[in-house]
Amino acid sequence: MVGLVKCKERRVDVLKEAIKKALRLIDYSFPKAESVVIKPNMCYYWDYSTGQTTDPNFVAAMIKVLREEVSSDIDVSIVESDASAMKCKYAFKYLGYEKLAEKYKVKLVNLSKVESEPIKVEVKGEIFDFMIPKIIKNADLRINVPKMKYMMLSKISCALKNIFGCNPYPKKFKYHPKLSETIVALNKAMSFQLNVLDGIRVFGSKTLKLGLVMASQDPVATDAVAATIMGVNPKSVAHLKLAEREGLGKIEFTVKGDDLDYFRRRFPRKSLSEKAIAFGYRVACKLGLDKRII
Amino acid sequence: MPVVNMEKLKFGVIGLGFIGKVHLRNCLKLKSARVVAAADKSKKALNYAKEFGVKQLFTDYQELLKLKDLDAVIIALPTYLHAECAIRAMEAGKHVFLEKPLARNPREGWEIVSTARRNCVKFMVGYPLRFVPEFVRLKSRLESGFLGDIQLAYAVNIAAGPFFHRAESTVPRPVSEWWLNKELTGGGALMDLGCHMINLLRWFLGEVSDIKSRLGYRFNFDFEDYATCIVDFECGTSAVVNVGWFSQSAAVGIELHGSMGHDRAYHSPSSKVITAIKLLLGETPKFYIPHLKELLYFVDYVKNDDNKENRLSGEDALRDLGVIAKAYENQIG
Repeated sequence: MVGLVKCKERRVDVLKEAIKKALRLIDYSFPKAESVVIKPNMCYYWDYSTGQTTDPNFVAAMIKVLREEVSSDIDVSIVESDASAMKCKYAFKYLGYEKLAEKYKVKLVNLSKVESEPIKVEVKGEIFDFMIPKIIKNADLRINVPKMKYMMLSKISCALKNIFGCNPYPKKFKYHPKLSETIVALNKAMSFQLNVLDGIRVFGSKTLKLGLVMASQDPVATDAVAATIMGVNPKSVAHLKLAEREGLGKIEFTVKGDDLDYFRRRFPRKSLSEKAIAFGYRVACKLGLDKRII
Repeated sequence: MPVVNMEKLKFGVIGLGFIGKVHLRNCLKLKSARVVAAADKSKKALNYAKEFGVKQLFTDYQELLKLKDLDAVIIALPTYLHAECAIRAMEAGKHVFLEKPLARNPREGWEIVSTARRNCVKFMVGYPLRFVPEFVRLKSRLESGFLGDIQLAYAVNIAAGPFFHRAESTVPRPVSEWWLNKELTGGGALMDLGCHMINLLRWFLGEVSDIKSRLGYRFNFDFEDYATCIVDFECGTSAVVNVGWFSQSAAVGIELHGSMGHDRAYHSPSSKVITAIKLLLGETPKFYIPHLKELLYFVDYVKNDDNKENRLSGEDALRDLGVIAKAYENQIG
């Protein structure tokens, strides 16, 4: 079940009410928890105004919901890991998370710098080896706060892909040849109990104020709804099909709350020419011509 | 004065980051020049030069400077290395084309300029906006007198700064950490982009008599990512200069308001897709053409008579740096 709520503002208190409403729509009640990890999307040094990274105000609203509904002294950690082109120490600052951490007295954790333990995960009969940060493994509650975006390699990036960023290994491009399998394996290794999507500003063919808050306990259904809004058939997305096969959730979804079509009509979809250019670029990459680009 | 081969000027390119690669590609297109060597700490960057046929590759630029058969160097290193590298190149008798800004501060800038004089080498700082056709046309309109006396001017240079991605727009690129260290850059957006606009306005309006700045910190670093300056010129013109590193949509322009008329010029890149296609096809994208022209100007300056005036001399860049330093000193608000 997926809850959809319209929310036109990014003020923390307005977002807090929208998140609460979305959670009520899916009949979600928080478990008892002393520690929680929140995983926003901080893919690069693009702030919330681009629609490509989670708004710190949205995370602040989530923290307020937790303090009101779970415990006022709940231990909150906001987690992200270093990536090939992005370093947490700069992203936390640049994207406004350092200010957030100071104001709301929460921790910022670079998963690439904390203690991890090895884990083996089987997907499609193949064993994947990862290191799992203990802070994620030991948290009482894990909340995924993704964005919805097109992605050249995996068609879409949303809840399942956001967990790719919990892998502490920084040179993540090494997983690109088996991206779908890696995404699913990481989600099997680190299951997040709640997904609350920040769709206030989104990036499709351009940046747009979509005004969407989405909540679900099922990451596959969350991604399936996001794909539908973006004009992508969820069954054409390899990592969604694989995630369903591996028992992470269901592509078939039930929506509650505001009208899915309202968001679907407004989302800035890619035009045919943009799709053709993306295809051309992929061909150029395969031919090795992309090395010429500066 | 070092002897120059009159057929083709032999270049070494030092530093193969983004702008170094632009200069390398442009230099390879010049009929009057030849790239004989390149230096960069990164072997990956050197492979880029190798793919374009550069034979002599060095991970230490000092080895490149030992080459006897080398007339000039293009230096496109991080700002904190400008003084050290330019001075060594000049002392090795090489003519120097140095990427802007001249240096981190006027003291380092002065050391570079005086070394160039002492060693009688030709020296130029790269300010490509001086070669943008729209700005050249605006300068011509200004000089014709059609606009009357310029009372107010507005200059803007907004870009993504170090936080930009590759030309095809979908792949994030790592940000070199020196960009995020004020000690190594000498400043933020005001230093990086302000020097372009101060140089351009000085070309249009003459010397600056006073400057005040207000610095902004949208992205929470200890260096400014945007700035507004109020600039007074000796000619009586007042100008506002806005610079910023916060936008993925570049805007570079000048507006002049005179007693008889007003005019404006903006420099816009092609779309990222067209830029990517041109790079893939080995052509020069629109945004790099001013860089090509400035290099051609430098080659001409080195090869031709000694008395030719250099429009982009080290002294000129040193004055820009002095104005920027004063802007940092005179902060308001």
